[in-house]
Amino acid sequence: MASRTDDHLQTLREMRSRAVLGGGTKRIEQQHARGKFTARERLSLLLDEGSFQEFGALATHQVNAFGLDKQRFPGDGIVTGFGKVSGRRVAVFAQDFTVLGGSFSEVQAQKISRIQDLALESGIPIIGLNDSGGARIQEGVRSLAAYGEVFVRNVMASGVIPQISVILGPCAGGAVYSPALTDFVIMAADSTMFLTGPDVIKAVTGEEVTAQSLGGADVHTSRSGVAHLSADTEVAGLSLAKLLLSYLPQNNNEDAPQLTPDDPPSRMDESLNTLIPNDENQPYDIRDAITAIFDVDSFLEIQPRFAANAVVGFARLEGHSVGIVANQPACMAGALDIDASDKIARFIRICDAFNIPLVTFVDCPGFLPGTEQEYGGVIRHGAKIIYAYCEATVPKISIVTRKAMGGAYVAMGSRQMRIDLAFAWPTAQIAVMGAEPAVRVLYRAEVKNAADPAARQAELVAAYREEFFNPYRAADLGQIDEVIEPRETRPRLARALEILRTKVQQNPPKKHGLSPT
Amino acid sequence: MSDLAWGLQMTVLGMGLVFALLTLLWGLLTLMQRLDRQPAAAALPDEAQAAAALAATPLSAASTATPTVQGLDAGLMAAILVATLAHRAARRREAAPAMRRSAPGSQLHTSRWVGAGRVRQNHSWQRRGR
Repeated sequence: MASRTDDHLQTLREMRSRAVLGGGTKRIEQQHARGKFTARERLSLLLDEGSFQEFGALATHQVNAFGLDKQRFPGDGIVTGFGKVSGRRVAVFAQDFTVLGGSFSEVQAQKISRIQDLALESGIPIIGLNDSGGARIQEGVRSLAAYGEVFVRNVMASGVIPQISVILGPCAGGAVYSPALTDFVIMAADSTMFLTGPDVIKAVTGEEVTAQSLGGADVHTSRSGVAHLSADTEVAGLSLAKLLLSYLPQNNNEDAPQLTPDDPPSRMDESLNTLIPNDENQPYDIRDAITAIFDVDSFLEIQPRFAANAVVGFARLEGHSVGIVANQPACMAGALDIDASDKIARFIRICDAFNIPLVTFVDCPGFLPGTEQEYGGVIRHGAKIIYAYCEATVPKISIVTRKAMGGAYVAMGSRQMRIDLAFAWPTAQIAVMGAEPAVRVLYRAEVKNAADPAARQAELVAAYREEFFNPYRAADLGQIDEVIEPRETRPRLARALEILRTKVQQNPPKKHGLSPT
Repeated sequence: MSDLAWGLQMTVLGMGLVFALLTLLWGLLTLMQRLDRQPAAAALPDEAQAAAALAATPLSAASTATPTVQGLDAGLMAAILVATLAHRAARRREAAPAMRRSAPGSQLHTSRWVGAGRVRQNHSWQRRGR
């Protein structure tokens, strides 16, 4: 005869089995038929084997309206807990689409909030796997209030612990704000993110659009900039989250993991000396310089398809995480525009929050001119870069590779932006503006009155270039600390960052600054 | 005197038994070793011989023969090597524990200067009068 304890154990085991099944076998099969994994399968792919510890597996909603009393599932459509990624503690939550379409409920919010609180108190990163049809309509204002509970914790954790969102299905309505408040958004497979869906858009504006063309990964990684990375499959998306985490610390008091160096810091890549084309108007790919300078196979570009005229990303130098900001001469000659400014400023602030040193490569002819940019507020967007650089207290090093003109020179890591060390390659051109426009402004009358205006203009342009299109005038004035051979960049950076590793700088006490928006 | 004789008898008998068993065990092990080696020896030719045979074979014939390393197909060995290196590179990219210089979450690798500095950075706002 079974004892009373055995009965209790049996009950618990049955409840746990039900929780593991989520919305049931049929729903799981449907999820698989769509080529998607369940929440638990995703977590097992993300976390180290056997490291997951679940909390709240038996929580269910207490709402009876609209037939919800007949649809109670242990866990209520979300799996939350702690686990390890590459041996590092992380908090995780994964929405379970098999339970009522993963709809966001009061219980879901309670479970996520609990994990967020524990992650913040423990100083560990949090990774959310989103796959939800939106708010649970049957719960009314309860589910709306639930969003708020999560948002406030997203904000409190911002800049304290890394927050990564992986979108693996639909993410619509108010639910999009939680990922948007996190540090990184990765969109995988056929996931979508939008505030208002195609049906609502059609009803309101008459515009016909598909879910993918409205808020698919393509849109958000290339046009809107909402998502930072994308992947073709769920497995690749989860791998990206792991990869991203490897560059980030556990919290804002600690350093990112340092790897045992496997690439000598003294290595010099001769190809760098010939990277800059002889014709100053010829483009080159700054990513070639980045991959040659930093540790082999360590560069992870963030937002590679959004604002391609700027390159930001993480790499490693001597095994240490480094944040890289660069102009991309291969796209729009590296000119800064609204999107590039937003991209750079955001990345600088992420690096500063998580104690990751910044290395800036400057080759920028200036801000992109035009009414579209001015009307769009390129001034306030460009100001974000200046604000972010000035505010950042992490080690900052800049390298002028070619053009550093006007406001863009100042904004992109000049000495006045509290840059710790400024290097320049011999190909650097540091001036207020290009030679031709400068001569037009300075010598308009002289050129006009000359016997041969064209010859006089060419003469003056040559003189201007001789004077300013080199790094030595800036070095004379102390604006450049050292002019270096391009191939020396790696050892120079390694030595500089070694010195600056213990840099501590404090900003004046304030509640918070008022960054341009 | 009879006790001494009995004792010697027992010693000889005991030691004899032990040695006899050891000899039997040695014989068994030798037999097993030979049985075990014979088929393997047939399948795995001596590496030097194999290499010499490979070198002596004309190029056209060598291209059809599959070279072996330690009895394993060379192509398979190369695939294993590539997979191992790829796995190592992936583990390195993800900063796996074996690739790290310090334990995650520990500040043992950093200085007190940095630790104290970060505390100040993160608590820069303090109520006046305290």
